[in-house]
Amino acid sequence: MARRAERLALPVGVVATFAILLVVFYYPVGSVLVAAVVRGGRLTLGPLADVLGDPFYTGMLAGTVRDPFGVPAGLGGWVRAGFPSVEFGLFGFTAWQAALSTVASVLVGLPGAYLLARYEFVGRRTLRSLTIVPFVLPSIMVAVGFLAMFGRNGLLNDLLSIVGLGPVGGVLFTLKAVVLAHAFYNAPLVTRLVTTAWESVDARRVESARSLGASRLRAFRDVVLPELVPAVLTAALLTFVFTFLSFPIVLALGGLQLATVEVWLYARVQDLALGEAATLGTIETVLSLSLTYLYLRYEARQVRSRGTTTLSRHRLSIGWRTLRDPVRVGLFAYGIVVVILFVGPLASMVVESLTGSGGLTTANYAFLARQQAATAVGTIRPLPAVRNSLLFGLGTLLLAVPMGVVVSVLAARGGRGSRIAETLMSAPLAVSGVVVGLGMLQTLVFGTTVAGHRLVASGPVAIVLAHAVAAYPFVSRNVTPALSGIDSRLLDSARSLGASRLRVLVDVELPLVAAAVLAGAAFAFAISIGEFDSTVLLSQGVNTYTMPVALERYIGNRSVGPSLGPATAMGTVLLLVTAASFLVIDRLGGRWQP
Amino acid sequence: MKRRAFIRRAGGGAVGAALLAGCTSGDGSTNGSDSNGSATGGAGREGNTTGNTTATVGSAKTGGTLTVATYASFTGEDTAGAWLKSAFEKRHSNATVEFQVPENGVNQFVQRAQQGAPIDADLYVGLNTSELVRVRRQLDSPLFRSSGTVDGTDAIKQTLDVDPRGRAIPYDTGYITLVYDGTKVDEPRSFDALTKPRYANELITENAQQSDPGRAFLLWTVLAKGEDGYLDYWRDLLDNGVRVLADWEPAYQAFTDGEAPMVVSYSTDQVYYHDSKAQLRRHQVGFLDGQGYANPEAMAAFADAENPDLAREFMSFVLTDRAQSEIAVRNVQFPAVKGVSPGREFEKYAKEPPNPVTMSYDDLAGSVGGWVEDWSRLVASS
Repeated sequence: MARRAERLALPVGVVATFAILLVVFYYPVGSVLVAAVVRGGRLTLGPLADVLGDPFYTGMLAGTVRDPFGVPAGLGGWVRAGFPSVEFGLFGFTAWQAALSTVASVLVGLPGAYLLARYEFVGRRTLRSLTIVPFVLPSIMVAVGFLAMFGRNGLLNDLLSIVGLGPVGGVLFTLKAVVLAHAFYNAPLVTRLVTTAWESVDARRVESARSLGASRLRAFRDVVLPELVPAVLTAALLTFVFTFLSFPIVLALGGLQLATVEVWLYARVQDLALGEAATLGTIETVLSLSLTYLYLRYEARQVRSRGTTTLSRHRLSIGWRTLRDPVRVGLFAYGIVVVILFVGPLASMVVESLTGSGGLTTANYAFLARQQAATAVGTIRPLPAVRNSLLFGLGTLLLAVPMGVVVSVLAARGGRGSRIAETLMSAPLAVSGVVVGLGMLQTLVFGTTVAGHRLVASGPVAIVLAHAVAAYPFVSRNVTPALSGIDSRLLDSARSLGASRLRVLVDVELPLVAAAVLAGAAFAFAISIGEFDSTVLLSQGVNTYTMPVALERYIGNRSVGPSLGPATAMGTVLLLVTAASFLVIDRLGGRWQP
Repeated sequence: MKRRAFIRRAGGGAVGAALLAGCTSGDGSTNGSDSNGSATGGAGREGNTTGNTTATVGSAKTGGTLTVATYASFTGEDTAGAWLKSAFEKRHSNATVEFQVPENGVNQFVQRAQQGAPIDADLYVGLNTSELVRVRRQLDSPLFRSSGTVDGTDAIKQTLDVDPRGRAIPYDTGYITLVYDGTKVDEPRSFDALTKPRYANELITENAQQSDPGRAFLLWTVLAKGEDGYLDYWRDLLDNGVRVLADWEPAYQAFTDGEAPMVVSYSTDQVYYHDSKAQLRRHQVGFLDGQGYANPEAMAAFADAENPDLAREFMSFVLTDRAQSEIAVRNVQFPAVKGVSPGREFEKYAKEPPNPVTMSYDDLAGSVGGWVEDWSRLVASS
């Protein structure tokens, strides 16, 4: 009986994962995207052609859609005109800023991974846990922090003027600010994914390479680098897709002048031009899913070894000699960059919550206390928001980790066609948040009539399901590469000794990839804590608001005037609660590690 | 909410009417002083909507639950909504006001209607004129019912007439103007001044696609420069370094943080900033060409409201002098009704433009979408 259950566990997990995806993701998203290809009940490519043939969207590529045969002549004209600059429209600009953002995120993130994986210093584990915090911060808070840090009267300029370096202005509301903010969100992603990979490099392979006479550089290039590349590419791909779909950060720090496709899509939804919105959403989805597919094919060809011996770390501080070691001096300089880019905006937000028009004040925290004590209906109280956030986070964790592991098992051991299946199952990463939100609204929140009954899904269960769907791809992106690196002979021998597939997974594989599972779990929790759009849609009329929702509501509160003070106070609470949670997750996880 | 859905499913109009009649019959004679007229006035039109709540005709006071959909900052501690709820419930001892805050505002109900989902609310509070136009453009059958006789509507300021079909009733208004830092710039007195080098890189406005003040400012430029001239004017503004931010909050935050000394905002802002002379000087209100663009906020009952009589009574309560001045102070907007004084402090610091302008429903119908679209394409490609 028990063996039967064990045999069934994985297939049941696969079916359950698909079922959740179907209800919370594919059905809602499908209901929106259908509008892009159906007009008046008939299939048509008209709307897609309209968008692709509109120079506003695709710049000079629009001509190639409308008149493919005119391309050679057009190219000739361009060459004769002396290669003038070329416009690629809204899509072109969106891809351009996403590329810049990806490069910036990788550049900022990689040294961090090197530092965390290869050096030992006081507070390393804490720092490693905290790298995920930027990920959960609501964009409006980050925008406020950036304004307070990099603005004309910002902290950076105050500090620079002390050193006599004069003010630097003109960063905000430019592409630079958007790229910086994207790096703020995504560089920690690069750091985390690459650190996890680096920490699971088999030290014995490096040692044998060295003992065979390879130089340190050579050993790094031949043994370590091949294992880091997939992690770097995963991070870069995710960053590109996220920043391609970027929306709130662009709106807050760039404004309409730097609009991306997603900003435009959101505006179309606000104007209820849902057909055009669906068309834009479809094109975005096709682009980002193709990228994901190409990447997954590449990743599958990578082979990663995995051992239980990890590389030993160097001491970061080696007394006075530290100052003469170029690498350590470089890491110190990197530390300064990190403080400016990451600590600066967060500290500025905290400072903002403690100051008012007349200097230091506790008024914003008094506001939170007043809200907590208030009796009026519709009041958003801070403590229930904290409680709900943590509960939903926990629920997401419990659901997303098994879902992610199931997908990883499929991906790591799958045969033909598993790349397509994996792409489809990773789709929540690659579909526009606005489209998902709209779909959820129209299907789950409004309800669907089935056999005369209106089925409506909202409240805590729906929210946790939605969070889990958004989060589990992060679990599988962490776990899949690790899992596929396990020596298959190990598994075969376990199976031949009579262990069921589930037993092998639980007793052999998962302990070997514990670090990756833990990293994925942290992501799942982080995504749930920071999630705003689907939470706010699915919590209608119920007491299910979370910290980001509370924060957004306090922004609109008029009792204290046009001030972000109360919201920054709530943002500080969010910062403290999440930082504490991640320290706990990593500590508990550390104990669980073999 | 669940109960409403159940009633609708369980047997449509008849059961619902019986239940509602049962709810309301017990309190018929408690108080008959002020809303008799409105109750009977409304009864005549019930037949063409749902035909199930006419049971209340003749009873002086209606009861039950009134579900009011509105925006987030209208409800909660110290808000106009919270005050209205308790004051109204005090008057109507057997009525309960419940608030609903859909994240996407009135769009939620348009989409519900399009998808055939239940509306589940009686009244919407917080409509503006271009939203009414959008509702009309999207739906074939009306989302809102005509308000009929609501006490107090005659006293509404004429300039705030938002709906020629008499469904939406204005309850307050803001005036969109420039707010500028008097310690950094002189008052720009006209639209043309804003395009001069003197004001280069000094103005922040909001995205007209989704921000109320941003849209109001755009419509104001259409009024000032004409349908054929406004895009050229905006080209000049863009060349002069205007920034178009997402919404009022980030725009105002950028203004107070010193990113630019002028921002498109409300003429009531000084109500928040009069604690010192220095503060006042940094939040000066500037009326371009002596004008300010009125952005009235309105309320309307849904066509299939379950409790239309109660909705009407609530609307006439909102228009009473007492409620009008409370709303003005708590929402920091001007009353919609003539002759209401919201208190000395409000009157001292909330500035009314010499010449308020606005676009009526008919001005906007059929045009506003194109204006906004052309404008946003211009800004996004700049």
